[in-house]
Amino acid sequence: MTIRTPLLLCLVVMLSMSVCSVSAHQQKSGLTTVLFNPRTDNIEVMHRFYMHDAEHAVKTLFDKTADIIKSAETQAQFAEYVAQRFALYNELDQAFALDLVGFEVEGQHFWIYQETATPPNMGKISVRHDVLRDIWPEQNNLINFEGKGQVQSLEFADNVELLSVEFAPHAH
Amino acid sequence: MRRILLALCALTLLPISTLHADAIKQTKGNFEDKFRQLDEVLPTPNVYRNAAGEPGHQYWQQQVDYTIAARLIEDQRRLEATQDITYYNNSPDTLKYLWVQLDQNKFKDDSMSALTTTFGGIGNRGPGTKSMSDDEPAQISLSALRRQQFVDDTELGYTISRVVDGLGNTLSYTTVGTLMRVDLLTPLKSGDRTRFTMDFAFNIVEEDAVSARAGYEHFPDDAREGGNDIFLLAQWFPRLAAYTDYEAWTNKEFIGRGEFTLEFGNYDVSLTVPADHIVSATGVLQNPKDVLTAEQQRRLEQAKTDERTVFVVTEEEALENEKAGTSDSKTWRFTAKNVRDFAWASSRKFMWDARGYQQGGDVMPVVMAMSFFPKEGGDLWKKYSTESIIHTMDVYTRFSFDYPYPVAQSVNGPVGGMEYPMITFNGPRTELQDDGSRTYSQAEKRFLIGVVIHEVGHIYFPMIVNSDERQWTWMDEGLNSFLDGVAGREWDPTIPWGVEPRDIAGYMKSSVQVPIMTQSDSVLRLGPNAYTKPAAALNILRETILGRELFDFAFKEYAQRWMYKRPTPSDFFRTMEEASGVDLDWFWRGWFYTTDHVDISVDRVYQLRLDTEDPDIDFARERQEELDKPKSLTDERNKAEGKELWVDRFSDISDFYDQNDRFTVTNKERNSYKKFLKDLKPWERKALERAVAEDKHYYVMDFSNHGGLVMPIILEMTFTDGSTDMMRIPAEIWRRTPKAVSKLIITDKELASVTVDPRWETADVDTQNNHYPRQIIKSRIESYKSKPRSGKVYRDIMHDSTTELKTEDDDATEDEGSSDNNEG
Repeated sequence: MTIRTPLLLCLVVMLSMSVCSVSAHQQKSGLTTVLFNPRTDNIEVMHRFYMHDAEHAVKTLFDKTADIIKSAETQAQFAEYVAQRFALYNELDQAFALDLVGFEVEGQHFWIYQETATPPNMGKISVRHDVLRDIWPEQNNLINFEGKGQVQSLEFADNVELLSVEFAPHAH
Repeated sequence: MRRILLALCALTLLPISTLHADAIKQTKGNFEDKFRQLDEVLPTPNVYRNAAGEPGHQYWQQQVDYTIAARLIEDQRRLEATQDITYYNNSPDTLKYLWVQLDQNKFKDDSMSALTTTFGGIGNRGPGTKSMSDDEPAQISLSALRRQQFVDDTELGYTISRVVDGLGNTLSYTTVGTLMRVDLLTPLKSGDRTRFTMDFAFNIVEEDAVSARAGYEHFPDDAREGGNDIFLLAQWFPRLAAYTDYEAWTNKEFIGRGEFTLEFGNYDVSLTVPADHIVSATGVLQNPKDVLTAEQQRRLEQAKTDERTVFVVTEEEALENEKAGTSDSKTWRFTAKNVRDFAWASSRKFMWDARGYQQGGDVMPVVMAMSFFPKEGGDLWKKYSTESIIHTMDVYTRFSFDYPYPVAQSVNGPVGGMEYPMITFNGPRTELQDDGSRTYSQAEKRFLIGVVIHEVGHIYFPMIVNSDERQWTWMDEGLNSFLDGVAGREWDPTIPWGVEPRDIAGYMKSSVQVPIMTQSDSVLRLGPNAYTKPAAALNILRETILGRELFDFAFKEYAQRWMYKRPTPSDFFRTMEEASGVDLDWFWRGWFYTTDHVDISVDRVYQLRLDTEDPDIDFARERQEELDKPKSLTDERNKAEGKELWVDRFSDISDFYDQNDRFTVTNKERNSYKKFLKDLKPWERKALERAVAEDKHYYVMDFSNHGGLVMPIILEMTFTDGSTDMMRIPAEIWRRTPKAVSKLIITDKELASVTVDPRWETADVDTQNNHYPRQIIKSRIESYKSKPRSGKVYRDIMHDSTTELKTEDDDATEDEGSSDNNEG
């Protein structure tokens, strides 16, 4: 057995803003809805991040001049980053090919949309949600799975890497 | 034998304790009383806290006065101090010992906080680690290493060198983590006071390394050799633990998350710092002549009455100051009356602006609003800090009481946002650009205004309305987030402040929610749990359930009842209910004690029609109903094929029934109707006649509750003529059937459709089932795809406005650019 030495992940910019959270504050929390949409027969993935988080994140991720509010290029770049760090896997651990549908700003939030066709007979989905957790250890991402019975949630925080949800087979 | 006995005891104890946990129980069927009164959950009212949620007629709290002399040793980043404590025992009990909080001990490497921080998991706020997984080795961030190295290199926690009573007798003490028990030589009786003195010292933590609520920040790039520091001092002196009527000594270890439970008292604090430092502290400066220049004193005086902010220390002076250092020192003396804590900040980097807030009234007619910040705060701070302080007092005072202290301050340092009496620490900064200028983003501006409002708001809750933060984060953070939302909207409603009910729906429908009534250190997802959800709940209470008049009266009553006192959750719940005159037990139960969410569905609407019993009316209606039914497909096709009917071919076979259908009224029915009317009692006849004349529309609506949380049903009815009507059905409609209810609604006009909660007031998590007839509610992706991306709303004006005006030559060579952010 080999003991793996700790790897320095990256230089984490400490913004020391974890003391309290107010609305205009960096929240360091994302909310993702995974919706099984019966009308479109797609799995729709809708990521919501705070603009203020994104504003700081892009400067760390890309470069200091990156501007999520003014620059359409930065917005596209950030959406691409989110898409790369989020994945859904089927029971055979194959990743779904999620199309990046687009992104938009709404109030204090930045939204990123992805989708893929819903496969038949889906029992279990595994998820990887590393968005912003590479730059902020305290980042936490909550996922709600909707459109298949009761809402099921997964929370990506602390050292969580891969989580899965199971769906009851359809009643006949 | 003995073992058997023990096992038996355990068995018999079990059902008893279960019984105790839930005294009243539904043991048949599945009825759940969502409106069960909270009496069994709330503590029994007593002489200290009465059933109205008021301080009882024998309410008491302790008082602790401090006289402190402290010296900041700048080059060692160390604080050495001595303090005299006078403890007033106002409780009915005799105390043999006193518990003192040693918060600096949290930073020791053998503290409960340090030892229980899990690798890659919970524990300290701040620098993180990541466990090993299948395809990645374990990871530790550089900031986690920095923290570890700082803790290794620096001796942290208190050094306590002397604890003596008023006569100089040594007192024995026992340290227990972040607490110490000081044994008194003679028990302290009710009504008596005692004095003791402590000498203490500690090394100040580097805030950026350990992520605390105070500490120093180093600026290595300043012109002065070796750079400069900003020192923020809080949880810096050993503070008496609170002794209360509901928990006795509140000696729960400081692990990091749950904040503070403190006593009120008077402070006299002398702070000796390098002579070129500017100090901001809880309280009023007593010796301005010793520490300020004549010009600075004059400016401070001018600021009291000036219409706009006055600089007491200008940017130029601060810049000049931070270039050099000094080996001289000065002592700043502050006094503060009736505060529950004392914090301060010191640096040679500070500029200082001030403006008198003309509050009026008798309590504190003028309050000095002041900000202290380095050049790194820059224009952002010059423009918005002091203004935001004043705006906060303006709004909060309306909801509570006049701001009672002489100063309200905002200090920029390494702490993102933290509150103390009369002083707050706030983090937002400008950013240095390559050309040497300093700019700030829109989000940073909103952050500054928001955080100053929030932290200054905390001077009301919990610094004056002194709730127990170690137990209940929501009591100060929830109430304060609700009010900072109110204040924020009054500053500029176009800034999204985030306490709308819709903002909490995603959290509330998730399965990771925990009840708001959870002890601070155990809460999962503190932000949505202790800040946003209670704030949204109070918003709903104000705008939807009680209305502003009742809510504002009750909320103000709570604030005034508990000003300078220590409320518990039950005092808040009881006051809000008692002062508004509305039973809110169901609301507290649902929103604060459970993890239910709101999801009300309108399942079906059907129409009823009154039978008039008059055959001339009813038979005709029935005939019409028959005619309205779809025609037989066979008859229709026969006709289309040109088939001639038998009855048409031979006229001699027709008779009476071909002329009169089965809905033909005869006198037999008319006579029977007359008899029916005659047999009616006069009031019955009157009611029937009126109903027939009015001919209203009768609808029965079926609702179901999928989320579990009972809430008012807010109905928007749209009629066939296009007009609409709102109806608000109180939550009590669910009291006997919490899962489903039906409601008869009588209207003058014909109904076309109904919508539940059309304005998203209740945090309903699923709007798909809020419409009848059902509407297709598009998912965000569907509506995103269907949006005409050229609409004016979708213009990115901020970006577009930077576009340069083109000349005609440009147009010829280049197509117009697009700011469309759609990838597809």
